[in-house]
Amino acid sequence: MNILGRTKNILLSNLPVIIFYMLSFSTFEGLKEFPDLVAFYFNLQMIIVYFYVLKFPDYLGYGHIFFAGIISDVVTGIPLGTSSLSYLILCFFTSYIRNATLRSKMTAEWIAFIPALFFSNLMYFIVITNFSHLSFYYVELLQNTFFTFLFFPFFYFLLNSYQKNIVKINA
Amino acid sequence: MADSRDDFIIAIRYALLKKGTKQKFSLFFLISLSILIITLDKLSLPIVSSTRAVINDLVYEVAYIAATPGKFLSYLNKKKKDHFNTVNKNKILIEEIESLKSDRYDNLYLKTENYSLRKVLDLSNEGYKKDEISIKARVIIDRDSPYLKSLLVSKGRKQNIIKGMSVFSKGYLIGTIIESNYITARVLLITDLNSKIPVVIEGTNTNAILGGTGKKTDLRLDYLPDGFILEPNKILYTSGKDGFLAIGLPVAETYLDKKNNLRIKSLADPRQASIINISKGQFNK
Repeated sequence: MNILGRTKNILLSNLPVIIFYMLSFSTFEGLKEFPDLVAFYFNLQMIIVYFYVLKFPDYLGYGHIFFAGIISDVVTGIPLGTSSLSYLILCFFTSYIRNATLRSKMTAEWIAFIPALFFSNLMYFIVITNFSHLSFYYVELLQNTFFTFLFFPFFYFLLNSYQKNIVKINA
Repeated sequence: MADSRDDFIIAIRYALLKKGTKQKFSLFFLISLSILIITLDKLSLPIVSSTRAVINDLVYEVAYIAATPGKFLSYLNKKKKDHFNTVNKNKILIEEIESLKSDRYDNLYLKTENYSLRKVLDLSNEGYKKDEISIKARVIIDRDSPYLKSLLVSKGRKQNIIKGMSVFSKGYLIGTIIESNYITARVLLITDLNSKIPVVIEGTNTNAILGGTGKKTDLRLDYLPDGFILEPNKILYTSGKDGFLAIGLPVAETYLDKKNNLRIKSLADPRQASIINISKGQFNK
């Protein structure tokens, strides 16, 4: 295989990691770029973490999740390590769900996303209230969590079909 | 019963300690590391603070570049809206110009009268001009979060930006500096829940504290006197009671919303700010 093809393969295989870092660095938060749709913003990072840890754990390492969380904290201005801890708690629940599940079904995984999101955001809440003097926008956080849960199936099918193609190419 | 409990413990242990084929770190190790970082950050040791400042500067610069596609999207959206609003605005502006032209003559008369009265009373304008040093900065990132409404700007300690300085956009106060790194700084917007500004209400001698709620069009007034009724279309000025902000800077305005509820909106639009002025409490034109 030539160098160009190999580079393309490496890029495609690592696309979730690249997107994940880009999301941490950039200001994109779902549909927040469109002021009319501001109510529908969601946390794409959480969807990516949940999906990849659940379905393709070899494509998104915990180390990357940790570092992206640190970057996200610096950009957002909250105590260092808060997002990392929140994402890692999500990873822990996802990993547990993966081990406990015998037959994977999209609906079951979607429902299992609720407790995972809940505990992840709970950790966020605990750290923010105890380790900083920041006040909270409860409604925004609830909206964010709700739409993250709601948009999960769309990204599930999108990422699943993409990742299956990558697995086929790499096979 | 004991078997199911054992299975549960094994599953948890597996989730925490198992690394997988391509994982370099276990979840347990990274969770512990996160907790350690949070604790060190909370302790605010000098070495941790300086390390954090270096990380902040590095990440902010990369984030500025990474935010470009998102900003381009916002720019396109804004341009589209601007295009459709231009004709209507033009009509309104023509009417305003006519009205301002007539006001200008009144102002000239008042200015002359003011000057002659000051001369009679032996008052001078000196003292207002002191410390009017303002530093222009560029907004690097205006990322919104459910926790902090803030902006990142391109000037820091290198340009003598210190914590507590006031930030203005287009003549209006938009926030204060809460974190100063070597080449960047973070501005806490007046719309943030944590922002508290002592203000005085136009036409009254009533003092209050202006706080944010996260929205530009819905600020909050605390510590108003008992029985005080707030009226619409009143400007809120800084009272200078914090000992830092200058007296009489316009900050917000009261208005009636569509449901006839009295609300307070910020005069500046922090989210539209791209170039800002940072000063030691006074606005420099």
